Amino acid sequence: MKKILSRQSILTSACVLLITACGSNTANNSTSETPSSSNQSTTIPIGIAIAQTSNVALLGQEQVAGVKIAEKYFNDKGGINGTPIKLVLQDTAGDEAGAINAFQTLINRDKVVGIVGPTLSQQAFSADPVAERAKVPVIGPSNTAKGVPEIGDYVARVSVPVSVVAPNAVKAALKQNPNIKKVAVFFAQNDAFSKSETEIFQKTVKDQGLELVTVQKFQTTDTDFQSQATNAINLKPDLVIISGLAADGGNLVRQLRELGYKGLIIGGNGLNTSNIFPVCKALCDGVLIAQAYSPEHPGEINAAFRKAYVEQFKKEPPQFSAQAFTAVQVYVDALKELDNKSKISQLQLPQLRTELNKQILAGKYNTILGEISFTPVGEVVQKDFYVAQIKMEKDGSQGKFAFLK
Amino acid sequence: MDISLFIQQLLNGLSIGSVYAIFALGYTLVYSILGIINLAHGAIFTLGAYFTYALMGGSFGFNGLFANLTLPVQLPFAMALIIGSGLAGLVGIGMERIAFKPLRNKGSDPLLTVVSSLGVAVVIVNLIQYLVGAESYTFPANTFGNLPAAINFGSAEKPIPIRSVQVIIFGVSMVIVAILTYFINRTKYGKAMQAIAEDPVTSSLLGIDSDRFIILTFFLSSFLAGLAGTLVASSVSIAGPYFGIAFGLRGLAVIVLGGLGSIPGAVLGGLLIGVVEALVPAEFSGYKDAVAFGILFVMLLVRPQGLLGRRFIQKV
Repeated sequence: MKKILSRQSILTSACVLLITACGSNTANNSTSETPSSSNQSTTIPIGIAIAQTSNVALLGQEQVAGVKIAEKYFNDKGGINGTPIKLVLQDTAGDEAGAINAFQTLINRDKVVGIVGPTLSQQAFSADPVAERAKVPVIGPSNTAKGVPEIGDYVARVSVPVSVVAPNAVKAALKQNPNIKKVAVFFAQNDAFSKSETEIFQKTVKDQGLELVTVQKFQTTDTDFQSQATNAINLKPDLVIISGLAADGGNLVRQLRELGYKGLIIGGNGLNTSNIFPVCKALCDGVLIAQAYSPEHPGEINAAFRKAYVEQFKKEPPQFSAQAFTAVQVYVDALKELDNKSKISQLQLPQLRTELNKQILAGKYNTILGEISFTPVGEVVQKDFYVAQIKMEKDGSQGKFAFLK
Repeated sequence: MDISLFIQQLLNGLSIGSVYAIFALGYTLVYSILGIINLAHGAIFTLGAYFTYALMGGSFGFNGLFANLTLPVQLPFAMALIIGSGLAGLVGIGMERIAFKPLRNKGSDPLLTVVSSLGVAVVIVNLIQYLVGAESYTFPANTFGNLPAAINFGSAEKPIPIRSVQVIIFGVSMVIVAILTYFINRTKYGKAMQAIAEDPVTSSLLGIDSDRFIILTFFLSSFLAGLAGTLVASSVSIAGPYFGIAFGLRGLAVIVLGGLGSIPGAVLGGLLIGVVEALVPAEFSGYKDAVAFGILFVMLLVRPQGLLGRRFIQKV
């Protein structure tokens, strides 16, 4: 009996440990140099709390690229009326605990004036209240789920909600194939953003008078989608809509195509990254994705951003990098404006954070996304949207988002 | 459920279940010999896939510290698979020497070894991310030659398409299971491993060098993990450094369901969990893990030793 108990207890412990490991924050909280704790600093610290590890790192790494380009670009332009900004990076990993830890460190230890982050909407619902209580402005670079700006007075976002962007993709699909009748929807049920996005897609499908033949669920950690794919294909859909992240979404596209699905596919915002190219390669071809950013957007600042990104990464900048760049720009522009009104070096940190938050919401910004501003709640108001279609080389080695007129 | 859909999902389940089986065999081997659960098995699974990918493509991809590192050779898939799995096996040996042997020598509680293996898993996963990045990587389209993407097992009216790669995976997995079963039951080395599993002290008195066989066990176990990782990656993609974590969890379920330490049990458990997951109705497809683990839970209550496991009897 003792032996049985011993073996069972070991096994139980093992399972608990493994589950804990899966959900735990493996972040190492890598931090750049710690800025001064007061406004007497020679640099102005802006916190960046995004996912640099975990399966969300695919998106987070794009955001890191965006904010680093922004840091260099704005400091080369003179920073905040002569004072350079200093980005303080904290890794949130992919879970809520990681985001909360990163926020707390940035607020209490690094004394940042505001935070860009976190990567996932799901993390925002847990971590943003931490900043709200501390009265520290937060700008979400990629939180598109419903209800994020409503978390608190200090929470805003530069990522336009899915309710605005998603319907454009369905309309583009209908333009390409007016005979679409049956639609199959797939979504990652363990991701708050994907759940939120699929509701918008499903509503749009119904609003357009289309038949929703099946709703298939999966997890962002899944790799095998044969069951879901064959289930859907048997219902002969004309259009498939996927809300997930790059790795799972890319694998789903690949398996749908290999199993013979030939109709149009719409990918949600989580698939809006060139990181899906190496997953489904040539089979990514033709996937439609609504976007809040186009590398072809006119204007000097976008040209500079695009040039810097292409030089460094040899590919067109993705939306996640663009939105992260924009979030930093909002801080820079708002700080400049605030400094013009009353010298920010004269303000104590709590007062600076509060005044900065007011300024963020009051301002208008000419960004690489186009002109943006905020509602009093912190919701972004953006004018320009796009739909892109993935075009892959025949051998699947290269791909790009071709923007539809 | 329509009969053609049932057959389709059965084939889907057998295919993924066969991978669970060879993955779980590695768990089972280590448990049989040392009585410990090696939680780093999922990380080795991931590592095997990366090794094969790098050997086949001649590079470690385009991210992380190894982004600009190119290898002098690009091997065909079959050769890369064997060498990549072999490298995973060597990592397994290194892991045993560093993380398990010192604890074993001190006579530590097996639970400490479990924790130690968890530490190794986290280190490996983070190391992969640091060296290769978080990107997903897909094997080239011609990995298996010019096969059609899918094979239709049904009629034109009621098609049952199965991806060719899934059929290959099932075939390779069953061959591996047969070879391993032969090795364990018919060869001198396999019998020696069984003797150590049965009674390490007596087998040592009979002249069997248990340390050598523990090394062999870890090599085989990690080889199988690396092989399973590559097979899955060739079917989907290497979905980042955390790729093997979910498999690690399922592997545990498989060996408990089949019976701890039972090789036929690992195979049966793997196939069973694969089929159960595939047969979960469409509207509950996102809950297939819960269904599989729910069955496991019931099994633990009804038959704690698993389907083919032996009941432990402690004489007092």
